[in-house]
Amino acid sequence: MCGQEHNNLDTRLVGLMNEDPRRAAYELIQLMSSLNDTKRAILLALAHIYPRSVSGVQLSRLIGYSGKSRSLYRGVLSHLEQDRMILIDQLTPKLYAIRINPEHPLLKVLIEMCRDFGSEATEVYLKALEGT
Amino acid sequence: MDMLLRRARALYTERQRIAIGAIMIAFAITTYVFYRTPLTEIPGEIPVNVPEGWVAGFEVVYSFNTAGFILAVSVMLFFYAFWTWAFLPTPATIYTMGVLRGIFGSGVKIQKRIGRRFRVVLDEENNRYVDITCRMREPGTDDWFVYTVRSGPVRTSNLEQIALRHGLHVSNRRLCATVNNDELHSRLVLLATALAKVR
Repeated sequence: MCGQEHNNLDTRLVGLMNEDPRRAAYELIQLMSSLNDTKRAILLALAHIYPRSVSGVQLSRLIGYSGKSRSLYRGVLSHLEQDRMILIDQLTPKLYAIRINPEHPLLKVLIEMCRDFGSEATEVYLKALEGT
Repeated sequence: MDMLLRRARALYTERQRIAIGAIMIAFAITTYVFYRTPLTEIPGEIPVNVPEGWVAGFEVVYSFNTAGFILAVSVMLFFYAFWTWAFLPTPATIYTMGVLRGIFGSGVKIQKRIGRRFRVVLDEENNRYVDITCRMREPGTDDWFVYTVRSGPVRTSNLEQIALRHGLHVSNRRLCATVNNDELHSRLVLLATALAKVR
């Protein structure tokens, strides 16, 4: 059954990217390992809870960030947005909705994989969100 | 954070304290120098209906002494601002140079420029280079030593795709990224890979 799941994902990814899925996986590993731990944690959390978006405070709880969420915005989040890995929508002057960029050529692979294999982790993340 | 960067940060805060202390002393001395009697008046009409004491006060403020004083203080502040903008503490320079040489090879030409900038010249004839600018601290955050990395102008049709696939973005036909000090090495490797692809 697991093998079938893999095949399904493979065919979908080939359709999605028009290329070898191993290549996408390789580039995704390269990208994720090049980021520092805060950025990595943000992308993983956001990929798991996609298509939900979160506020800055929720995000900093989700990744166990101890600093102020404002310093998260000015630093890490703005860098991620610059590199078009996340999208930030300003709802009100103080409230932002942060979500992963589903158009990003590598992160859409990650989202796809999280959706297929990460349901347990998604539950964990969503439970953490409910607590806030 | 790397040991060298920790030392650089400590050195920087220490130097800043010393500089501020020195500026305070210099400020006091300048005040003394410029406001010793006699005051050199700037001639002008003084309104009649102002009380005596006020006039004396205005005369102190409205004089060449004040002009000189303001000039002296602004020169001090200018040098302080220039000093904080221009130079990276030595341990941080050693760290950055080490990382750059580790990626681009020890034979590569690296120009150190004023304003905490480094330029790695990859290919002099084709004008291919990578610029690295370091900021001591990102305003509004606790981040120290944030680097801005950008390549020279690149001419390829699918530049945007290549940039995204290497965690970079395109600005003005250049591959750019803002990276923290702990990702400097790994993301420069990705930038070098991307540059190799667009060659």
